[in-house]
Order: sequence, then C-alpha cells, then structure tokens
Amino acid sequence: MSGSQWFQAVRVLRKTIGLGALLALAAFILGPLLSLLMWAVAGTWLFPALIPEFSLKWWFYVLGQEDVVKSIRMSVESAPVATALSALICIPAAYAFARLEFPGRRVVLLSFLSANAFPKIGLYVSIATLFYRLNLMDTFAGVVMIQLINTLLFMIWIPTGTFRGINRNLEEAARDAGAGPLRTFFQITLPIALPGLIVAALFAFIAAFDEAQGSLIVGTPNHITMPVLMYGLVLGYPQPVGAVFSVLLALPSLVLLLLMQRYLRAGYLAAGYNL
Amino acid sequence: MRAGWKQGALGLALVLPPLCVLLFLVVIPAITAVVTTLTARAAGTSLFSNYAEVLGTRGLRADITYTVVVTLVAVSVTFLLSYPLALYLRFTRSRAVGFLGVLFMVPLFVPVVITSYAMINFLVNHGFVSTILYRLGIQTFPRLMYNATGIVLTQVWASIPFAVLILGSGLQAIDDALIDSARDVGAGALRTFFAVILPLNMTSTMITLTLLFIGIFGSFTIPFLVGGNAPQMLGVTMTAYLTQYLRRTESVTMAVIAFLIAAIVGAVYIASVSRRERGTR
Repeated sequence: MSGSQWFQAVRVLRKTIGLGALLALAAFILGPLLSLLMWAVAGTWLFPALIPEFSLKWWFYVLGQEDVVKSIRMSVESAPVATALSALICIPAAYAFARLEFPGRRVVLLSFLSANAFPKIGLYVSIATLFYRLNLMDTFAGVVMIQLINTLLFMIWIPTGTFRGINRNLEEAARDAGAGPLRTFFQITLPIALPGLIVAALFAFIAAFDEAQGSLIVGTPNHITMPVLMYGLVLGYPQPVGAVFSVLLALPSLVLLLLMQRYLRAGYLAAGYNL
Repeated sequence: MRAGWKQGALGLALVLPPLCVLLFLVVIPAITAVVTTLTARAAGTSLFSNYAEVLGTRGLRADITYTVVVTLVAVSVTFLLSYPLALYLRFTRSRAVGFLGVLFMVPLFVPVVITSYAMINFLVNHGFVSTILYRLGIQTFPRLMYNATGIVLTQVWASIPFAVLILGSGLQAIDDALIDSARDVGAGALRTFFAVILPLNMTSTMITLTLLFIGIFGSFTIPFLVGGNAPQMLGVTMTAYLTQYLRRTESVTMAVIAFLIAAIVGAVYIASVSRRERGTR
C-alpha cells in the first residue's frame, strides 16, 4: 500500500485522530448502549451511583405482559414477510437497472429516492384514506405494505450497485460456452452477487422491523409491532421496562450484524448509492 | 434494433412490480396530498391559501427555520466526524482499524426508537453522563437532552455509519498512484488532501451531504422523543397537527413544504451524480 505513505506523513492529523479520538468515539458510540444494558439488568439505579443494583425482575415483568408477547409475534411475522416480498419484486428489477437498457432507466431508478424524500407522515395521511377504502386498516397485510415502503430503496439500490459491479465478461463467457440466459443468471451472476443481496436484505429487514410511524396509524389497535409498543414504553413506564424491551427489540438486528459482519466490510451499501 | 427493443421490453417488465408499489404507496398518495392542499380551502380564496396560512403562522415559520438549522448543524457535525474517520479507515492498516470498522457500524443496527431511548438515559439530567461528571466534580453543565443539542447528538450518533460508508467507498476508488505522484512533486499532506483527495471524492461527498440532509430533515422519531416542546422539528409538528389537533390539511401542507425543501436538496444530488456520469462516458 504505497498510498498509505501519504497518510503516515500527516503526523499531526494522525495523532489527533489517533488514540484519543478513538477512545472518544468508542465512548460516544458505546456509552448510550452500555447505559441501556445496565438499565436492563437494574432493579433500582439511583443517582449518583455508577452501577445499578443488579436484578432481572423487570425481564419477568416485561415478558409476562400479554401485549409485549403479542407485539413480538407481530414483528417477527411481518418484517420477514415484507423483506421476502421486497426481495422477490426488487431483485429482478435491480438486475434490469444494472444490465438492461430501457427507456427512462435513470429516471425510474432515481424515483425510488422519493420513497425517502417525501415526509412519511404526509404519505400516511393519504395511505390511510386509501386503506380505509380497501379495508386494509388494522390488518396484517396493511402493516406489511407500510413496511414494504421502507425497504424499497435498499432493495433496489444496493442490488443494482452489486450487479453493476460484476464483470460482464464472466457472464459472456458462460453464454459463449452455451449456457442460456437463465442458466447464466442462476449459475454465474447470482452466486457472485449473493453477498451484496444478503446485505440488501439485511438492511431491508432492519428498515421493515424498525418501522413505527406508519404501523402506528395503520395497525392500531390489533396489529401493534414492537417499535410501536416501544413509543408507549419510552414515555410511560419505569426506565428498566423500556431498557429490557429495547434489548429485545435490538436483538434480531444485532444478531444479524454479527452473522453478516464479513460481508459488510466489502462496502456493498456504498456501492448502491454511487448510481 | 430488434434485440434492443426486446431488451427494453424485458427491462420495463422486470422494473414494473416495484414501480407499481412505488406508484400506489408513494407517488399517488403524495400527489393526492398535494392536490388536497390546493383544493381543500374555503370558497373564494386563492389556490395557495393553505400555504399562505401555514407560512403566515409565526409558530410554524419558527418550526421551519428550526428544522433547517438543526438539520444543517447535525449534517455538518456528522460530516466533520465522519470524514476523518473514513480517511483513517482508508489509509491506515492496523488492528485499531479492524476494531473501528466494526464499531462505527453498530448504530446502523440499532432501531431509532432504541437509539433515542438510549440517548435519553445517557444524556438526561441524572443520567449516565451527568453521573460521571458529578463524580468528577463538575456539577453545572449545559442541558444535553430535550433540546436542539439532544436532537443533534442523537442524529449524529445514528448517521455516522451511513456517512462513513459512503465517503469510504469514494475514498476506496482513489488510486494510490495519484496520491503518491502528488507527494513526489512536493505537495504537503494538507495540500494533497485539498488538491487531490477532496476533489476526487466530490461525488461521494455530495451524495453523503444531500442524503444526510433529506434523512434528518424529514425525521420524526428522534425529534419526537428527544426534542423539546417549542420550537419543534417539522416531522413532529405535522404529526401533532394530524393526530392531536385533527387539522389534516395544515399537516399535509407542511408535508408538501418539507418535501419541496428536500426536493431542492435532492436536485443538487441528482445534478452532481449526472455530472459525474457524463464525465465518465
């Protein structure tokens, strides 16, 4: 790595963003999570004690609540459905964006940004009116559709970047050797693209699992997901209750982070945004 | 010619399903919203009377200004923290880099509701930070939670991974040879940064800044849980107008105004991306 010589030369910069900055950043990122974890195993924690009095009693309290268990089920069922649905419709489209020439390709690809640019609450007002007419309010399907909106951008842009990054020569070689277009896709393109697609699915899942604002409007009162329930817990319960529930809510994505860590370093997320 | 036509048809067919979802769940609701703001008004008033009313309300004007200022500050702080981190990850090879590479990703995997809750307990009066400061003998410090500071800190926490990832991918694409040649002709480290690295990484920088702006500007959960009472960010105000005051038209009008501001920033993004694309082809 000869370019690293340049960086070695920046001694001042290097020192300032060296150890001190590293520790500060670690404290800034991990601090809030650490304090949350301590709250989750706290019986009581009174100021100015540095460490709480250990107890797991709030876990029994939280897991004993019927609506908590119900919301966990609702979240665990809806987010994977939304993610799978999103993958099913978006991955072929991403392939088309990356590999095929068709009229309006760039405009359509950019239009998916609008899913994130229009303030969601403005959308939900209109969507609620539409859902009332279609009898989708307070249904599983309605919640899944709301979650789907949040997954679109990830499921289109990241796979598009991934497919675009694959060397065309590999596909052409397979075609020359006599493989049909479908066989080429499933035996050559798809395996190479898989890590990028997994990362896309991971982000889509988190986006779907995380959705609260729209699910609150569409899912009330019988289809409450975990993040929706969390709003109530943040505002109206003792701190350990919110903390225990936070740990439960963060668990799926943190487990996924650990499983996917290897793929994440390869920068697939970034590839999607460099249109 | 025929092959081109076939390819075009196949491409459109593959793109159609997600495009339909976008149309029915985003584009049509958005257009309906815009139409409502223009038609739902008292007889005899002008077409833009809803906009005139919203923009004429002093509290709402204050909210718009507050949203823009808080967003700009949060974007700047995120950017200033993320750029050195991205540079460090790109140009250093050590065990610290491996650790940092995983560490800065963590916020990406924490749902924003939890981020807000964790930040509240971390920064609130008698929270974790104030306990540590108290132990160190510092008893008076500015309030860190339920105000603009709280919103900015929480937004920065949540946005760092995204910014580092996008900036990092741009830096990754810069050829080491270019940096070395700049050094060979005698450019200092800072000069190399401003003359070579910064210009070459301009697209990533624009993408990062605009997408950060759009994301933070339209946010709801963080300002709702972490912000103060007044002024508030637009996402919170429009939700309150809808669900508490039941003033739907005003709420949607604010959504359209917010969208227009985001759209201007989005246009900058599209312009910078297309300029690059023209340059490479």
